Amino acid sequence: MPDDASSMQESNKFRAILWELRIAIALVLICVYLSMATDHFLTTRNLINVLRQVSVNGLLSIGMTFIILTGGIDLSVGSMLAFGGVVTASFVSNAYKDVPSINPFHAICLGLLAGTVLGAVNGLVISKMRVTPFIMTLGMLSIARGMTYIYTNGMPITDLDKTFLQIGQGFFEPWGVRLLPWPVVIFLLAFAIAWVVLYRMKFGRYVYAVGGNARSARISGINVGFIIFMVYAISGFLCALAGVLLTARTSAGLPQAGVSYELDAIAAVVIGGTSMTGGKGPLIGTLLGVILIGVINSGLDQLSVSSYYQQVCKGLIIVGAVMLDYFQSDGER
Amino acid sequence: MTATQTGRDVILRMDNADKRFHGVHALKGVSIELGRGEVHAICGENGAGKSTLMKILMGVYSADSGTMYLNGKPVHFLSPRQALDAGIAIIEQELTPIPDMTVAENIFLGREPMVAGLFVNYRELNRMALEVLARIEVNIDPHRKMKTLSVAEVQLVEIAKALSYDSQVLIMDEPTSALGEKETDILFEIIHSLKEQGKGIFYISHRLKEIFRIADVVTILRDGEYIATRRTSGLDQDTLVSLMISRKLEGQYIKGNVPTLTPLLQVRDLVKRGRHEPISLELRRGEILGIYGLVGAGRSEFLESLFGVVKPDGGEILLNGKRASHRTPYDSIKNGVAFVTEDRKNSGLALILSVKDNATITSVRKYHRGPFVNRRRERDDVSRAIDFFSIKTPSERQLVRNLSGGNQQKVVLGRWLLSRPTILLMDEPTRGIDVGAKREIYRFMSDFASAGNGVIMVSSELPEIIGMADRILVFKDGRLSGEAARGEATEERLMQMAT
Amino acid sequence: MRKTALFVAALVFVVSIGFAQAGQKYRIGGATYGLAGEYMKLWATALERHPAVQQGLVDLTIFDGRYDASVQQSQFETMSSQGYDAILFVPIDIEAGAAAVATAHAADVIVVGSNTRVNSDLLTAYIGSNDVVSGYMEAKAVIEKMGGKGNVVIIEGPIGQSAQIERLEGNLKAIAEYPEVNVLERRTANWSRAEALALMENWLTAHPGTIHGVIGQNDEMALGAVQAIKAAGLDVKDFAIAGIDGVSDAITAVKNGEMDLSILQDAVSQAQGAIDIALGYLIDGYEPMSDCWKDYPEMKWNGGKDKTYDVPWTPITKQNADEQWEKRQDLTAR
Repeated sequence: MPDDASSMQESNKFRAILWELRIAIALVLICVYLSMATDHFLTTRNLINVLRQVSVNGLLSIGMTFIILTGGIDLSVGSMLAFGGVVTASFVSNAYKDVPSINPFHAICLGLLAGTVLGAVNGLVISKMRVTPFIMTLGMLSIARGMTYIYTNGMPITDLDKTFLQIGQGFFEPWGVRLLPWPVVIFLLAFAIAWVVLYRMKFGRYVYAVGGNARSARISGINVGFIIFMVYAISGFLCALAGVLLTARTSAGLPQAGVSYELDAIAAVVIGGTSMTGGKGPLIGTLLGVILIGVINSGLDQLSVSSYYQQVCKGLIIVGAVMLDYFQSDGER
Repeated sequence: MTATQTGRDVILRMDNADKRFHGVHALKGVSIELGRGEVHAICGENGAGKSTLMKILMGVYSADSGTMYLNGKPVHFLSPRQALDAGIAIIEQELTPIPDMTVAENIFLGREPMVAGLFVNYRELNRMALEVLARIEVNIDPHRKMKTLSVAEVQLVEIAKALSYDSQVLIMDEPTSALGEKETDILFEIIHSLKEQGKGIFYISHRLKEIFRIADVVTILRDGEYIATRRTSGLDQDTLVSLMISRKLEGQYIKGNVPTLTPLLQVRDLVKRGRHEPISLELRRGEILGIYGLVGAGRSEFLESLFGVVKPDGGEILLNGKRASHRTPYDSIKNGVAFVTEDRKNSGLALILSVKDNATITSVRKYHRGPFVNRRRERDDVSRAIDFFSIKTPSERQLVRNLSGGNQQKVVLGRWLLSRPTILLMDEPTRGIDVGAKREIYRFMSDFASAGNGVIMVSSELPEIIGMADRILVFKDGRLSGEAARGEATEERLMQMAT
Repeated sequence: MRKTALFVAALVFVVSIGFAQAGQKYRIGGATYGLAGEYMKLWATALERHPAVQQGLVDLTIFDGRYDASVQQSQFETMSSQGYDAILFVPIDIEAGAAAVATAHAADVIVVGSNTRVNSDLLTAYIGSNDVVSGYMEAKAVIEKMGGKGNVVIIEGPIGQSAQIERLEGNLKAIAEYPEVNVLERRTANWSRAEALALMENWLTAHPGTIHGVIGQNDEMALGAVQAIKAAGLDVKDFAIAGIDGVSDAITAVKNGEMDLSILQDAVSQAQGAIDIALGYLIDGYEPMSDCWKDYPEMKWNGGKDKTYDVPWTPITKQNADEQWEKRQDLTAR
């Protein structure tokens, strides 16, 4: 009997570990397959490519994770990205005459400020006026997009400052060693900071507590409204940062950039194991989810699979990830 | 086996029910039988297997082994629907009404009388609902929306719904937990009339007094095992408790605190329109102040105003003679007040978070090392809380959801202990938890007050409030209706003041 | 009583004068499929610059179709009921505008198609550029730069849109003329620069050193490919790259030698020509006022009654990029 019990415990433990690593395992399996099926998948250059491609969605997904952890949702990320991008572009463009060209660093700060303000408006309305996040950010999706068109008059902003473009196209080269593209460095840095905030600072505890049970959090003395306000402002900031990177990468402030990017961001968060009802989910899962989506997109491109199948594939993975959750917890119907 | 008695008219019999969950042996070969016209209580601490057994009877779970007989024929239910059709209905502990539907719609959900198979015949529906409600002599308009009903009324509607199936067997899981004394009396009258109609009733309750009042037979479970079945007539409360917890208890209440005359907290004319009238009271150092009243008398509402969960319209609060402002819970916590809410699951705990995260959520702001959380201090505090309340959990990382009710409540207490309060507000602190855990909570209250602190406890259980409080205030219709000192308070007197 | 009669008479007089004045002015609606992109923006600006609009002969209103056929449909209903004289119509898709045209036709409103054709017999006339021709021209230019042999990739528009179908037809027609040219990859990037960027990066990984030419079915996607090549540390000059539309950024890219060719789709002529055609139906003996008829002598006015007017494409190469850039600056100045 005791033997039986301990071996059962062993196998439970093993299963639990397997469960924790499920996305990582899926990712590894896909990478193994791709490296066998294509010639160049497993090259440093390609892996760096994939990371660079996911850095924009990665930034959006970090903000989205914070928001979904509180039980909310942000549908306006793509529009805030576009707005932050064109504001920055307008200040580093020689062709955009309405505002002066300024130092690229200051221009980026202005763009980030613009995105943060939009996110803060989301947060303010949601926390103070009790508009549901879905409705508020749906409204912001339209408002921010419209503001982007008004600001740009519907035209792409081109002829951007060469130094500025480095942030999207250049490499981080400490002591002359070419290490990683700037977008990747910025994404990983943002991820690291977000991780520290979420798991090593009280703010992170409060985010989980608000999503776990807002009423209980309030009675425990947490300023729930402030936490909600902050996560939306953070999302706005990260969206604008993603917009800056995308602008520098494509060498133009495109008013139609980021359309329907919210779907990929939500998908990454969900695949990463974060519960849509809030309070549950690891940030590292989001990182893996982001990379998984990127690897699949890139891999299917290289395998010459039609983009239609890519969409089906992505959908299956999202639903599959959530279904796994269901099977794992079937004892608790 | 042991439970089998001959010469009885048995409706339902369960032989050797066995069930495991993920390696936990929840039910170990339990047998039970229910006679016609019998109220059969099931007793045991939380985790003894009562709910598992009932869920097997209802077809929610299927037993790993064991056979069930209904009127002598073996049956096997795959779903609650099948059990309902066979005449077994349950009134669950957690009520699940659909708030925006009417009373009648809720009672006959899924069984609406139809016209031409397409449209609901509302006239007939309401007539049928009226009839069912009349059968239990409850006067609730079937057209009312469920959300307009009080908790007690919802409970009565759930009972009516269970009866509407014309069941032979009714399972009642803590049916009085949300009821006041008056509604409890109504429920017991209903149970009596059901007995006379020859129905069998399984009755689960933590309130032992109720069991002696209403049950004919009691079956005791402990750790998933069958312990004994006894007639209540030949049983006393102490024997029952000792069967349940296997260790002998000396007296149920633990009280060693002695109140002083120094005021700790003074409340003057605290008022919130629509929730409670102006209330003034004083809590002294070393005192446990009880607040009694019927459900809906404004007790919990008053505590929420006091703690700043809702903003009061007027009045003032003095701590140690100095004015204090409690505009938000945060202010109250800073002033050393803690609030154990009535409803663990809705307002107390975040069930999907770990023991640690729940325990330290109010105090995490104190563990600062620069901008970061000092995780060593945090861990030390959590282990202290776990040890202090002997919380049974495999680790601090366990999700609170997986703990028993008593241990969940101890996590709430642990959380507030870590915030180092001097005043503890407790709303129904022992609801739905087992006898052993109750005693530990009583001991904590007593020790806490003895250290020069103060406790305000709200409770609907008269013996508990009489046993623990130094002074008892009674609420009625949102205002103070009386006060009784320890020693003067009897159940009859308190009831009189409350009604 | 008499006062009232007098008042009514005065009212009728004033109103009829109002009508008479409105009769001298023609109400024309410019129905775009959406104003979020640069191209439609230029098209709408060109309408506003037409001499007839500037002189007040035409009362012009621009409609934003928001990339939705049903939005365009309801805008047509509005224009028909408000008594517009003519509608200049750019449908979101070749199949998606027939119902709208029928609505206008039933209300006797003239509908001149511009830029994108509608599959409807009820269209009064159509002025646009033949997408098959542009597809052929760009593919041919790419192949010639490659010396008539090698590997190309094609970045397509959204599958099923008429521009994608016709430009692809032109691409393949040119490629078929060169047996030594091989199509390595063919995939949509939905007219988007960001999507094309990722796509091209992945292709460069999958086919290192073997891609010689990039055929972008629009400029945005060709520009995305340029970024991908630069990001991979390769030299854009080693690739033959072409796009279609002549957007500002592409003209700059051609100037800098990053792209070899962009084919200008002349939004100005498509827009201003459409006003001329509409006015030709509204005014007897109308002579066209816009410059497009002089710019393209091969496009004949023919009394304004032809069913179809074909605006020629203008290849933008290093030689004429500066001149085109100046023209564009003039049009986009705010």
